[in-house]
Formats: sequence, C-alpha cells, structure tokens
Amino acid sequence: MLTLTSVDLQAIWLSAKVATTATLVTLPFGFALAWLLAFGRMRGKLLIDGLISLPLVLPPVVIGYLLLLLLGRQGPLGGLLKTLGIQVIFTWKGAVIACAVIGLPLMVRSIRLGMEQIDPYLIHASRTLGAGFFDTLGSLVLPLSIPSLVTGGILCFARSLGEFGATIILAGNIPGVTQTIPLSIYDYTNTPGGEAGALSLCLVSILLSYLVLIINEIIMRRSRRSVRQLS
Amino acid sequence: MSSKILLLFVFFLLPSITAASEVHISAATSLTDAVSELVINYEQMHPDIDLQMNFAPSGTLAKQIIAGAPTDIYISANPKWMEYVQQQKMIEPNSQQILVYNNLVFVGIPNSKITSLQDLLTLRRIALASPQSAPAGKYAEQVLLAAGLYQQLSADKKLIPAKDVRQALLYADRGEVDGAFVYRSDALLAKQARILFTVPQELYPQVAYPVALTLSGSNSAGAQEFLVYLLGADAQSVFKRYGFIAP
Repeated sequence: MLTLTSVDLQAIWLSAKVATTATLVTLPFGFALAWLLAFGRMRGKLLIDGLISLPLVLPPVVIGYLLLLLLGRQGPLGGLLKTLGIQVIFTWKGAVIACAVIGLPLMVRSIRLGMEQIDPYLIHASRTLGAGFFDTLGSLVLPLSIPSLVTGGILCFARSLGEFGATIILAGNIPGVTQTIPLSIYDYTNTPGGEAGALSLCLVSILLSYLVLIINEIIMRRSRRSVRQLS
Repeated sequence: MSSKILLLFVFFLLPSITAASEVHISAATSLTDAVSELVINYEQMHPDIDLQMNFAPSGTLAKQIIAGAPTDIYISANPKWMEYVQQQKMIEPNSQQILVYNNLVFVGIPNSKITSLQDLLTLRRIALASPQSAPAGKYAEQVLLAAGLYQQLSADKKLIPAKDVRQALLYADRGEVDGAFVYRSDALLAKQARILFTVPQELYPQVAYPVALTLSGSNSAGAQEFLVYLLGADAQSVFKRYGFIAP
C-alpha cells in the first residue's frame, strides 16, 4: 500500500525541514509579540492584534500573493534582498517565510493565553523584590510560559506541515527544492492514475500530524507537572 | 410565525421551480474568460436558460464529474482527461468533439534577446506549469525534450514548475523568471510580458480542447443547444479573439 518514490521521500524530508525551521524562526517573535499583547500598555493594541491575526483568517493564497509582491524582484523588500544577495522566491527559504507568517498568529495566540494565566501578583512581587525587567522575564514569565510555548510551537509546526496556498505561490512547486508533502499530493491528484501516490503521501501526512499531536500531549503533561512543582 | 417560515421555504424553493432550464458547464481554467463571455452572450439571447459555470483544472473537473457533481457539458484542456471520464461511462461518446485548439508560446519581458528555443540556455530561470499536474507543463516538457534542452536546463535547476499555466505567466509578467511557457490564449492576458517566440508545432502534440455532453447533458435540450452554439461561427470568433484556434 505504502509506495514512496525518492521524490516523495524528498518531499517528506523537505516538509520536516521547512516546518522545523519555520517554528524555530517564529518562536522568538511569537514570544515577544505575545508578551507585548499580554502585558504591554500602548495605544493601538487592538490594531496590532488584528494585524497579527489576519493570516489566520485570510485565504493562504492571498498571503502568498502579497508576499510575492513584497519579496519579488520588483517588490519593495525584494530589491533590498537582491542587493544583499539573498534569494527567497523559488527557494526553501521562501517556503519557510510563508509558513512562518501563517503559523505566527497560532503561536502568538497560544503563548498569549498562557501568559495571561500567570498570576499578576507574582509579577508585581518579583518587581517589588527588586528584580529588573529582564530578570522577571527570564526567571518568571519564560518558565511559566513553557507549556504555552510548546503548544504554540507545535501548532505552528503542524500548520506548516499542511501549508499549501502561500507556499506554492512564493516558493513554486519544484521537486526536491520546494515541493513539500501537500504540493506533491496536489500534483498526484491532478495526474491520471496518481491515486496510489496521493494516498501514500496522505497516509504519511496523517501519521506525521498525529505523531506531532501526541508528542504535544506528552510534553504538555510533563510541563504541567513541573509548573505545578514550580509554583 | 409558521407562515413566515413557510414563506422562507417558498423563497428557497422558488428558483428551482421557476428556472426553466439549468445547464451546468464544467470548463478547464484556461477557458475562463472566453467561456464567461459566451455564457453572458447566450443568456442575453435565451433568457429562459440559466447557465452555471464551474472553472477548475481539467483533472479536478473530471474527478468531480465521476463523483457525481451536476455537470451537463464538460470541456477539458486535454484529451486524456476526456478519455478518463469516458472510460468511467460518464459522458455521451457521440457528442464528443474538438471545441478549439491552442498553441504553446514563450513569454518574457520584451527587451530580452530571446527568439528561439536554443536561446533558452542563456536564461537563468524558466517557468512552466508543473508537468506532473498541468497539461501545459507536460507539453513544455515534451518540447524541451524534443529540442534536446531538457537535461541541460534541468541539471542547472533552471526550470521552475508553477502550480498551473496562469501562475507561470504571473512569474514571467512580474519578472521573477526570465520567461515562461504558456498557451497563446494566456499570453494575451499578460501586462508586461510579451510573446518572445511561438514554439514550433512539430515538437509537441496539438493542444486540443475536447468538449462532450455528460449523460445528464444528453437528456437536456438546453445543454444540447448551448453545445451547438459553442461550435458555431459566433462563438468561434469569440474564442479566436481570446487567442484560441478554430478546429
């Protein structure tokens, strides 16, 4: 039943690589933005929140198209990247950017939710006991946010595994370079007689996503226990 | 209260009762602009007929038809998917014929010095529709193989497979690639890119768009009449304006 060609294996490896990189790249940004939204006191918070959440509700093809306009040769950022010698479009880095933008709102939401659960008295106490901003952040907010960081990271990773619409526009559909699992499945479903190939990759997709969710659950249980010990 | 609910039901049922004749057309994406115009023209002439259009890649349409999606007329962008639907006994074989032809061109930003296939080796990036999933990409691949350029271009990683032919055109139009293989009908839609050369026909099979009535369509007078209109001179002149070639 499971028949995987070398191109399929490349697609699986590439999916894992893109999703992992996108998650690691997004984590610091996600943490900073979540902190800003959870504790920051500034004007226009609602606007920032909306802007970050937009990729969650916009069709991915819109995100892909806008990123292509922005990072393309004629785009405002594309020219800058070109002078720096960085090629984003049609490379796996393009796929990472697409996944990061689409995964970011999921990550920010779950980290923010975790941060808002932190007892504000703990933070006040740490500040009155003389801890500076970074000390409070590093020894209080960060450790208490670990479960939500894990969930956010895993959501972002899982979303990246499934990303199709933005990736196929920004990074193209190049076997071995930017063709991730969903793109490969798309090609199979549009080929007469491609059912076996499509189903094999669907199965891999299901297994991978399921595995990710189970790992999430295991890590969550462990960290919940350790947070309880901490507080 | 109950009368209001009743009224609501009547509103929902009304269109299906009053629509004299509903004809469902499933056409390949590359026909979107031409067929949309023809449908508007036809509906003006025949207000009693309601034409429902569905545009998607030929393969997607074929699978929808086999899955039982309501379709009366199927226009595919390549004969393979038509055969596939025919093998599943979903269309009326006698109604099948060629609607239009298309041909393959190479587009790019006008100032480049590209006039023939051999010049492609000097380019850095060339877009084509994915040969796996889109017929236009398959034809482009055949052309490059026949011209003996495929191995070189592929080894140098110069070929960029796009989702479909329109996306390949978008890349060429925005200058993300140096050029792209697209259909003539698509090339006419480009804003900045222009046709740099027409691909010699002897290098690839003729691009044919077969049309057929489905089994349900063969029982519908409206579908039969619209098919006659599509093959007639008026409709063919519209197709020609969009870059297609009459059979």
